[in-house]
Amino acid sequence: MDAYEARSCLDVITEELSEEEAADEDAFVMVPDSHSPDAFCSQCRTLTHTGSAAHACHALLTPAAAAQQMKDELSRSRSKLSEKIVEMENFASNLEEIFITVEENFGRQEQNLEQHYNEVLQTLSQRNDARAAALDEQKNRKLERLYSELLQCGQTLDASKELIESAQEVHRRQDKRAFLQAVMPVIKRVEQFSSTEVDLKLGVSLDFDVPTTDLSDVRQMMDSINLLPAPSAPVMNPQICNSATDTSLHVCWSLFSDDTVEFYELHWRLISDDCTMETPQDVSQLKVKETHCTVSDLLPNAQYELWVTATNTTGISPASERAVYMTVPSPPVIKPRQCVSSLDAALIRWDSGNTNPVESYTLEFRESDADGSNTATESIVAIPSCECLVQLQPWKRYIISVRAVNIGGPSERSEPIDVSTAGTFFHLLEDTAHPSLSLSANGLTMFYLDEDLPLSHMTFSDSTFARCVAVLGDLVPIRGQYYWEIEVDEDTEFRVGVAYEDTQRNSYLGGNNTSWCMRHIVTPSRHKYEFLHNGWTPDIRITVQPLRIGVFLDYAAGILSFYNAALRQHLHTFSCHFLHYLHPCFALDNPGALTLRTGLSAPAYVTCP
Amino acid sequence: MVSRYIAMALTQVSSNKCCNGYQKVFEHDSSELKCKMKFAIYLPPKAESSKCPVLYWLSGLTCTEQNFITKAGSQQAASEHGIIVVAPDTSPRGCNIEGEDESWDFGTGAGFYVNATQEPWKTNYRMYSYVTEELPRLINSNFPADPEKMSISGHSMGGHGALICALKNPGKYKSVSAFAPICNPIQCAWGQKAFSGYLGPDKSTWELYDATVLAESYSGPELDILIDQGRDDQFLSSSQLLPDNLIAACSKKKIPVVFRLQQGYDHSYYFIFSFINDHIKHHAKYLNA
Repeated sequence: MDAYEARSCLDVITEELSEEEAADEDAFVMVPDSHSPDAFCSQCRTLTHTGSAAHACHALLTPAAAAQQMKDELSRSRSKLSEKIVEMENFASNLEEIFITVEENFGRQEQNLEQHYNEVLQTLSQRNDARAAALDEQKNRKLERLYSELLQCGQTLDASKELIESAQEVHRRQDKRAFLQAVMPVIKRVEQFSSTEVDLKLGVSLDFDVPTTDLSDVRQMMDSINLLPAPSAPVMNPQICNSATDTSLHVCWSLFSDDTVEFYELHWRLISDDCTMETPQDVSQLKVKETHCTVSDLLPNAQYELWVTATNTTGISPASERAVYMTVPSPPVIKPRQCVSSLDAALIRWDSGNTNPVESYTLEFRESDADGSNTATESIVAIPSCECLVQLQPWKRYIISVRAVNIGGPSERSEPIDVSTAGTFFHLLEDTAHPSLSLSANGLTMFYLDEDLPLSHMTFSDSTFARCVAVLGDLVPIRGQYYWEIEVDEDTEFRVGVAYEDTQRNSYLGGNNTSWCMRHIVTPSRHKYEFLHNGWTPDIRITVQPLRIGVFLDYAAGILSFYNAALRQHLHTFSCHFLHYLHPCFALDNPGALTLRTGLSAPAYVTCP
Repeated sequence: MVSRYIAMALTQVSSNKCCNGYQKVFEHDSSELKCKMKFAIYLPPKAESSKCPVLYWLSGLTCTEQNFITKAGSQQAASEHGIIVVAPDTSPRGCNIEGEDESWDFGTGAGFYVNATQEPWKTNYRMYSYVTEELPRLINSNFPADPEKMSISGHSMGGHGALICALKNPGKYKSVSAFAPICNPIQCAWGQKAFSGYLGPDKSTWELYDATVLAESYSGPELDILIDQGRDDQFLSSSQLLPDNLIAACSKKKIPVVFRLQQGYDHSYYFIFSFINDHIKHHAKYLNA
């Protein structure tokens, strides 16, 4: 029954009710005598009067109260019925939807069946053709054989006839002598001929053997007609930003048809440069019920090819198109020994942390407050190489870390490095050191040892000093202010100063126009000090030997100053407009040692005279 | 503010605005020298609003208070570093002492910054006390000078004067520097002539005013001495200056000296002009610390 019918039932009920009411009224009217009903028995649910004996023990109500009660009852019934109507209406609309779905399903099934049957018919007719062709071939073969037998018989007949004719001819010969000569071979031939068996058997059978057609696949097709179609291929979704980690990928796909699917099977394999052949061992798979899953235990910074199939009771769908996902890289490793900083900048260097290249790097830095409160983290993105110069505020401490980035997203943060902008921090460039110069483990003390290495033992390169036993230091490439100190012994013959990066490696510090230095020479009578540039020095005598020397460089003011740091005594200042970035330089002219002190900021007497 | 400080004892002789400050010359009656004395004083712009340290400049033979302020070009650096520069005369004047004008290197204009003990010089020729006591008192009470911050410098005879004032008064001067000083007067002609005249024949009295001798026995707060010497200075080559002796003494006693032999420079004010900025910067490091 549908809604309309239900409604009409309700109308009927209403009508019935009103009929009842009407009947009651009639009942009321039909008793006009003195025993007019003035009460309502709630038990028997009839009108009666107060004195009635039949209802003596029953609860009686006044007609007014009774009428109210009845009215309430009626409206409750009515509302129940309304609810029922709503339910039925919902049911009706559901039925409508189901009706449509059934139509659709039917349509698809019909299509399916048609397809299936077409396939079956096609297969059958193919088989039929094949069989017919086979029989035809058989027939042709048999006929050929028979024909050749026939020919053979004919030949034999001809030969026999010929023989008989020749025998008859001989027989007719008059000449007895000639006859005797010719007759023996002829008799022999005839005897020979008649002794040979004549094979009168048929070479072929008259029957055809009909091969049994293999219709098992047709049977299979017929069987599968009644089943669900196998699903169609799912579609791989492209990789979502930031959904990957360095060892896992979050893979999603979609199914764009209404096929029933029991489960999906996700396949993946690592894409590597050298392997073009896909071997089954390379491919991993995972059975999954949802349309997404997380694949783990992967290599970082690697591309994976992924595809998925859907399976239901009928079979497996074709594989989806292959999608390429990439895991994020491993985090880089900062090289603290190769980082330099000054009051207003730092140069950070790191190792990629990945064997394959990544797209770029991101550097993050934030101030590390003494009270540990969180300050904002700033980032520098799209860094193309493994180093970055970052501008900072002076007199602060920073925590700096680096991430590697590829199309899969950014890696985890590297181990951070603590950077202080309270002074000049730098290290020595070991690959510029003259072979006779050795450095301590912490890279801050250099030694020129007494033993003379034979020349053959020394390895020189384009960047090492070849004559002056010298080494360069690294400095932040910013034209700011820098200060460092060195410590020496009384007898150390040293050179300390600055040089351009391309200063001549086969010349002495201070001996060319690309380096400036202070030099200490020990003579038999006294300590001599020179301030060398371009091979020239002013004549300066110093009475108290400086053993801790402060070097101050100020690009903007164009000055390089030397101080006896222990006495705060100014020794000498070079004034020069420095064209390129400078490197601190150090040399030992004779066996001895020199210790570098970095991480210092210029004392007040240096910067504010 | 400056005018408030000037007592009746001082008379302003001249005033010229220079490098945003004022180069003035004053005259007063000196109690040490018993005559009227002039001195030059440069007041930097900073002196308008606050007390400034003082650099005392002692000039050399034949100079007055004028040479330094007109030829040395010290005002720019003094202005920038906020330092008062006081340049007294080199000897008492107008005392009418017999023989005072006979030589250019003894008597007038050649006080040698000693307190003479011999007649007829001992009454007036007390430049040592004038420079180390009277003048600072006068400056401190009449000008916005910081009494705790004094340094001293000079040229030639004035270099000698600066060195001995610093060595004889440990801790009084925050820093000392000199241009071509007479380092070892008892060993040179100038010194021998002047000391025998002012101090008499007893050479032990001369040692009290010899920088090299004083250095050998110096004990006191650490000094930081800057000396510039022109290499082409005729007096260097004529052994009047003898810086090597001072260097040797200071090396032995570990008195910090930076001695710069400046190629091509002579004894003149052109030499002073060329390096005066370095010296004022040297003093500023200690005076403004």
